Amino acid sequence: MIEKFTEKLVILLQGNIPEKIDTCKITDERELNLANMLNQLIAFVHEIHDFIIPLSKGELAEIKISPKNFFGSPFKELHSRLLHLTWQANQVANGDYSQRVDFMGDFSEAFNNMIVSLDNNEKLLKKKIDELEGALSHIIKLEGILPICSFCKKIRMEGTDPEDQTNWLQIEGYISERTEAQFSHSVCPKCMKKYYPDY
Amino acid sequence: MFKEERDSNKFVWDDLGDLEKGRPNLGLTVPVLAYRLLQYTFRDVMITEFGVQKANEIIIKAGRLAGRQFCENMLNRNLDFGEFVSQLQNVLKEQAIGILRIEKADLENMRFTLTVAEDLDCSGLPPTDEVTCQYDEGFIAGIMEAYAGKSFIVKEIDCWASGDRLCRFDVRLQEDTE
Repeated sequence: MIEKFTEKLVILLQGNIPEKIDTCKITDERELNLANMLNQLIAFVHEIHDFIIPLSKGELAEIKISPKNFFGSPFKELHSRLLHLTWQANQVANGDYSQRVDFMGDFSEAFNNMIVSLDNNEKLLKKKIDELEGALSHIIKLEGILPICSFCKKIRMEGTDPEDQTNWLQIEGYISERTEAQFSHSVCPKCMKKYYPDY
Repeated sequence: MFKEERDSNKFVWDDLGDLEKGRPNLGLTVPVLAYRLLQYTFRDVMITEFGVQKANEIIIKAGRLAGRQFCENMLNRNLDFGEFVSQLQNVLKEQAIGILRIEKADLENMRFTLTVAEDLDCSGLPPTDEVTCQYDEGFIAGIMEAYAGKSFIVKEIDCWASGDRLCRFDVRLQEDTE
């Protein structure tokens, strides 16, 4: 019988799950007691094995470890924490930056720093977007075909009577009124020669 | 105040007294053993006097009353669920009551699975094959009721005392259990 028990333990120590010991034919009370305990150990290891393999692949299915399997308790705790982290990550994905992870060592610090960074970056981006939208609201876009006089270069205001001279504006006045651009008046070299030949 | 006969609960938050004034030297906190001594002796006597089922009902009712008062006086109920949970986690941690974690939240059906680690009631108890956190069941139900304005039923499905390393609770609307 000792050989049979040893064989089961060797299989366990090799990381495999042995068949339970058939206790029907054991008559010695001490051997029966030992066989029952060994069967319980095999059952516990089997439960943990079946639970931890899917967990190692990220499968957070329902837990199947019996309450008295104390070897399995830390894995159940780990499973619970992973479920909670999954929920928290979903919350963060939906914009809830109030989430914080407690009492998980270095992971807590890393996760919490990540959330603070995400929160700060989003606030910064929103601020930039507000600033840009504010700036855009001050700029009137100039687009389309502008009617311009081929000789004096005055521009006619949109939708006005071309025969009415007051509807024709100096180009710098036209642009200044419609954009943030300002003009400073100067003279180019060619015009300088033309209009101030003696200067 | 504490000795009037009554047909309905009269407890209000102010019944706790001015703790800072009352305990200038010993401070606001007591060891967990004092809390457990109180709860488990109460439980023992109630079971003797009224039986297990009635004792459990009383403990759950007391927890529910405490949860409602706790939520109304210690928590901002105007937050959305995620922020409310975050706040509740912080307050429970600051008050050294337990470490709350949400595992699942179905907001549409108002059904939740949550855990409390290092629970004040049971963490470290010898395994007994029993779930023992009836006060927590009531306490969580009371908090949810005060927050959501609906009645909840909370059942402990895993407990340190039943061999787990944390307490897991199923939270659902009372109307769904009827």
